[in-house]
Amino acid sequence: MEATLDTDRLGRVKELRRSRTKSIYLRISGIVVSGMIIWAWVSSQPLLGRLSASRRWENFKNFAGDLIPRPVQRSGDWLDAFPWAWGLLTDEGFVALATTFGIATAAILLASALVFPVLIFASRQLARPNPFGLWSGRVSALKSFFWKFSGPVVRFVFVLARAVPEYLIAFLLLSLLGLQVWPLVLALAIHNFGILGRLWGEVVENAETASAEQAIAAGQSCSSSFITRIVPASFNRFLIYLFYRWETCVKDATVLGMLGLLTLGKLIALSKGFFWDQMFFYILLGASVILLGDLFSTYLRRKLR
Amino acid sequence: MKGAHGRIRWVVFCGFLVFLACAWALDLKPGGLIPPDAEHWSRTGEFFKAALNPAFDYQDENVPDDADSIWLKGFKGLLLTLKFAFGAMSIAIPAALVMGFLGSSAWWPEPCGRGTQTVLSAVYFVSRFVMSFVRSIHELIWALLFLSAMGVSPLAGMVALALPFSGTLGKVFSELIDEEAREAGLALKAIGHRPIQTFLVGIFPGALPNLITYSFYRFECALRSSAVLGFVGIETIGLYIELSHEEFYYREVWTYLYLLLGLIVVVDRWGAAIRKRLHSSAEAWKV
Repeated sequence: MEATLDTDRLGRVKELRRSRTKSIYLRISGIVVSGMIIWAWVSSQPLLGRLSASRRWENFKNFAGDLIPRPVQRSGDWLDAFPWAWGLLTDEGFVALATTFGIATAAILLASALVFPVLIFASRQLARPNPFGLWSGRVSALKSFFWKFSGPVVRFVFVLARAVPEYLIAFLLLSLLGLQVWPLVLALAIHNFGILGRLWGEVVENAETASAEQAIAAGQSCSSSFITRIVPASFNRFLIYLFYRWETCVKDATVLGMLGLLTLGKLIALSKGFFWDQMFFYILLGASVILLGDLFSTYLRRKLR
Repeated sequence: MKGAHGRIRWVVFCGFLVFLACAWALDLKPGGLIPPDAEHWSRTGEFFKAALNPAFDYQDENVPDDADSIWLKGFKGLLLTLKFAFGAMSIAIPAALVMGFLGSSAWWPEPCGRGTQTVLSAVYFVSRFVMSFVRSIHELIWALLFLSAMGVSPLAGMVALALPFSGTLGKVFSELIDEEAREAGLALKAIGHRPIQTFLVGIFPGALPNLITYSFYRFECALRSSAVLGFVGIETIGLYIELSHEEFYYREVWTYLYLLLGLIVVVDRWGAAIRKRLHSSAEAWKV
């Protein structure tokens, strides 16, 4: 009795296993990914570069020693680090911090101002000749053509905008517009235009549509039902994503300074090689500010949810 | 309804004010949006003209005849970019799984004693802090640090990318695990499974599709970051772009840019197809 029950059970397990959903596409993707990972490691020999191990260790020891603030290296007293740190902060540190925050904030606000007007086109339900498939009178061929193509075009522009890394955009724009803050703001704004477009687009797609459908059925236009029904319902989620991206922008604005403008990145790049202790200080300064920004934005997002 | 609209108006108005304040503080003037002088104007013109006319052959006359064609070189650059992204993700995902597990509370035995609770909470906060710390330093800066400490080597590039990515992945993994429905786990616990078994069989498999989706999305980000690592001297397509740009070979720059764009769009579509087949929610996108 026991034995048959066990075989039954095993048979059933086998049956379940056979009938689970399988996807050739996912399997091939898995094989491709594993293959690429193996190749990545095999092809990167020698992994640690061509220096000998003892030489590398020597370099590393020198480097680690140089990270300690100079006054402390001289006197051996960590109390000497405070005036040194304060000096760095008042010299350029505070200005660089403020600039970093300013660039990130201006960029994310600019990006949202750019996304908002085209957001309606990202909605597959609304942005079509007959919104929600509701019959709302005859649509001229031109209008129908416009609605049919605007959505895919806008979505593709979002893809392109987020495909190029912001560092690359900033690098290119700096050579065209000269050394000023705009290229950094624009670069962050363009990249985040693409990302916010996608995130907000998804919010709009997932929004409750009943009320918007009602508005359309009552004769409102596409855009007015979008603004009066969908936007108010999704506004908090828009803000949540806005703050999430702002947080990322602060981090990115820090390194964009490495291209030569006064954010922390510039100070880091300039002190590299000669003033390792200063570089390390600026890196830690940046990290702590980003941690704070992170906490602030997490708090806000939790409140908005 | 009126309240909601009033609030939106207020938020938008504040946003506008903040933007003006930033613009004033950073000295952003509308005039800055156009090139400042004749030289920059002609450079801009050339740059955008080159967009319609990417190079099919090197603009540099000094390239030897037997060198790879520019497209082949570009493809090799893409492969190197992919290599660093895959290598970095293969370090970041296992690290993130460990940290994400330690930073979640879904596997905690309940009820547990005072002492255990304290230890578990300590583990939770330490792992969360480590994740926050590694991700609060940008990958380019990690790369600077590693290259300075270890010299130029493939591993330095991969680890530099892997560190901040493991922090972000770990944070999201832990949240996805904690948000997973607990019913299956509770049922297993009720028939006598231990907490770890409950976690591995009842909770983790449910969260897995979202974890995979999110990892793939981060892989797309790693690809972009890997291209940018070229700017600190690691050989990826970003390095080629920088070098061609320095010599004002704009047509070459566009060739590489188009290749990079193509790769990223292809990977974007690949990711979308995987997401669709895993039926995972778009929510995994939030960080």
